[in-house]
Amino acid sequence: MQLNHAQRELTVKVVYYGPGLSGKTTNLQQIHARTHAEGRSHLLKVETRDDRTLFFDMLPVFFQTRTGFKVKVKLFTVPGQVMHNATRRVVLQSADGVAFIADSRRGAAGENNSYWRDLLENMRENGLDPADVPVVIQYNKLDLPDARTSSELEDLRAKSKEPIVGAVAIRGQGVLETLHSVLQLAYRKMDGRSGLARNMSLSESDFLRQIFAQVDCAGTQLASHYPAPVKAAQGVVP
Amino acid sequence: MSTPLPLHLPAESVLQRKITLQDVLDIPTFSELVRGFADLYKLGVKVFDERGQKLADIKLGNADFCAYVFSFAEGRRCCSATVARVKEGPLNVSEGARLPTASADAGSLGGMLTVPCFTGLRYLILPVMWEGDLVGRVVFGPFTPEELKDLPPSLLEATKGIDHALALQHLAQIRRAPESTVVKVMLHFAHLLEALIAAGQKTWLTSQVHIEATQVTNRELAQKNRKLEDLYQRLKELDRLKSSFLATVSHELRTPLTSIIGYSEMLDEGLAGPLNTEQTDYVRTIMEKGDTLLGLISSILDITQIESGKVRLKFESTQVSDVITSSVSTLAPQAQKKGISLEAKLPPQALQAMADTEKLKQVVVNLLANAVKFTPRGGWVRVTLTDAGHQAELNARGYRIVVQDSGVGVPGDQLDKIFQSFYQVDNSSTREFGGAGLGLAIVKSYVEGHGGKVEVLSQEGQGATFSVVLPVAVSATRESELIAPPASEALEDRF
Repeated sequence: MQLNHAQRELTVKVVYYGPGLSGKTTNLQQIHARTHAEGRSHLLKVETRDDRTLFFDMLPVFFQTRTGFKVKVKLFTVPGQVMHNATRRVVLQSADGVAFIADSRRGAAGENNSYWRDLLENMRENGLDPADVPVVIQYNKLDLPDARTSSELEDLRAKSKEPIVGAVAIRGQGVLETLHSVLQLAYRKMDGRSGLARNMSLSESDFLRQIFAQVDCAGTQLASHYPAPVKAAQGVVP
Repeated sequence: MSTPLPLHLPAESVLQRKITLQDVLDIPTFSELVRGFADLYKLGVKVFDERGQKLADIKLGNADFCAYVFSFAEGRRCCSATVARVKEGPLNVSEGARLPTASADAGSLGGMLTVPCFTGLRYLILPVMWEGDLVGRVVFGPFTPEELKDLPPSLLEATKGIDHALALQHLAQIRRAPESTVVKVMLHFAHLLEALIAAGQKTWLTSQVHIEATQVTNRELAQKNRKLEDLYQRLKELDRLKSSFLATVSHELRTPLTSIIGYSEMLDEGLAGPLNTEQTDYVRTIMEKGDTLLGLISSILDITQIESGKVRLKFESTQVSDVITSSVSTLAPQAQKKGISLEAKLPPQALQAMADTEKLKQVVVNLLANAVKFTPRGGWVRVTLTDAGHQAELNARGYRIVVQDSGVGVPGDQLDKIFQSFYQVDNSSTREFGGAGLGLAIVKSYVEGHGGKVEVLSQEGQGATFSVVLPVAVSATRESELIAPPASEALEDRF
C-alpha cells in the first residue's frame, strides 16, 4: 500500500499468483472486460507467442473518494513458469493482497503445493510476513473432469484459514467474487495499519462499493450488493 | 562462513512508481511525430509533462501575428496571461476556460477545454490522463475560429494604433477552422497519444522489470556462489587434513611392518633355528601379506605426496622398451598364479624417451596390476608399446603404451571416476577385488606430470583398454625436475 497524504492518493496492490496456466491472466481479462472504461486503464499484457505470461499483466482500477482521495487498485499477475521466479519476486513486492489461483483438478495438487511454497518463500524474501498478507485461494477450472467437487470445496473451506472461492474463470464465474474477497481482506489489513476509515473517511463498504460500482456484476453473487453501473457514453480518455 | 547477502529488493520497484511521459515516450521521436501531425492539420501543437516541462512545441502560422501583437505593451501583457493560462492554468472551467463546442459525434471530450485569446484566436487544451493520474497536457492552437471576421474589440483595446490591414494579413496565415473541427482533430491526437503511451509503458515497464529480475537473480547467484566457495574451501581443508592424516598413519604403520617383514625373513632363512614345513608356510604367508600391506601403504604415501604437490619427477633418457619388459617381469608371477596370459608387444627398434624411469615403471606396473586384478582366471593381458610418432592429443612427437585385458571391464558411467583417489567401482563390503583404489590415481598424476594423457575405453564385461600417450622429449619450457600435479585438482569439476 502506498498512502500519500500530501497528494491524497492511495495505491493498493493485489497480485494474482499461482502455477502456470492456472488462469491468472484469464481472471484479469474478465475483470477488464467487466469494468467501466472510465474506471480502469488498459490491460497491459506481455506474453510469449504461445500466450504464456512473460513478465506480468497489469490492470489499474481507480476512483475518487468523497473526501477527494484518489484510490488506485493495481491488479497484477505473475508469470507462472518456473524459470521466471525472479520476476515473480519483483511483482510480488509490497503486495497488499494475493489471489492464489489454483487448478482444481486433483492431478494439479502437486503444482499447486509447489507454487504455494514458492509464494510463501518469495513473500519472505521480499520482507513480507506471510501471516500478515491477506490471501484468497481460488479453485479455478471447476468445470473440468477430475476437478474437485463442491462438497470437497466445502470441506477445504472448513479447514482453510484463507477464504476459498470456486471458479470457472474463463466463463467469468468466481472471478469478481475472488477480487471482492481479496480486496475486502486487503482493506481490513490496511485499515488496521493506517486507519483508512479514520484518516481518509473511507469505510470498507465505501471502498468496495466505489470499486464495484465500476464493475458489471450482473450474473455474479455480487449483483445484489452492487447494482449495474450507469454506462457513460463511449469516448476517449487518454 | 560468509554473511549471506540480503536478497530484499530495493524499497521501490518500478511497478510501484507512477509513470511519466518522459519514461514512456522517446522524446525526439515523439517530437517528430507531433511535427508531422501539426503540419498535416496546419495547427500548432504543444505537449507538456505533469510538471509543465515542454516535450514538444510545434508553432504553425501564428508567429508573425503574435509577434506583432506582442510588440504592443498591453498586447504583451495580455498575451503572456493567455499563454500562462493555457500552459499552467487549472484544467477545469475557470479563469476564462470553457467547455468546447463539439459536434454531436465527438463523444467524450476527456476533459478538453477551450481557452479564447483576447486576439479572437482560440486554444484547446486537453489533460493527458493515465491510470487516473494527470501525466501532462496537450495544447492546440492558436487557431482562428471560423466565425471571426474582423479584429475583435479586445484586441483593438490592447493594441492601440494597430495597423488593421497588416494585422489581418498576419491573421490570414493562421489556420481558420470551426472549433468543432479542431476538437475532432484533438481527439484524434488523443487516440494517437494513448496508443503511444500504452506501447511505451509496456516496453518501459517490461525492460525495467527485466532489469530488476536480473538484479534479483544476480544477488541470488552471488549468494549461492559465496556458499559454494565456502563449501569448496572447507572441502579443500578436509582434503588436506585427510592427506596429512594418511601420511602420518602410513608412516606409523610402515615402521612396525618393516620389522614384521624383516623378522619373518630371518625366521624363514633359519636364523633363529630350523623351521618345520608348517612353520615355514605360516612365516611365508606372514611375509606375503606383509608385502601386500607394504605395497598398499606405499601407494597411500605416494598419493599423499602427489596431493600435497611434493612429488618431483627426475627426467632422464629412458629405454621405454626396457621399462615395459621389466614391468611385465614384475607382474609375471601374479599373472601366472591366476593363469592369465601376459604378453608384451614391443616395437622392433628400442624406444628411447625423456622420462622419470622409476615413475614410468610405476605407471606401467600399476596399469598391468590393475588389468591382472580385474581379469578372471584364463584371461589375457597385453601391453603394447608403439613406435614414436606425431600424437594428435599432445600435438607433439610421442608414443603410446596400451594395456588391454579381457577382464570385467568398467561400466560406462564410471569411466570418468576411476582415476579419482580411493575410487572403487565396487565399493561394497563384499567386493570381489581388493586394493585401496589408488593405482589409477597415481597413474594419472604421473602421466600428466610427464605432459601426457591417459584414457580408458571399456564396456562392462568386455575388458578394458587403458591408453597412455607420452611425449618423447620434455617440453623446452619444462625444467628437468617437475612437480607432478596434485591429484586433488581433479576436484575442480565438481562445482
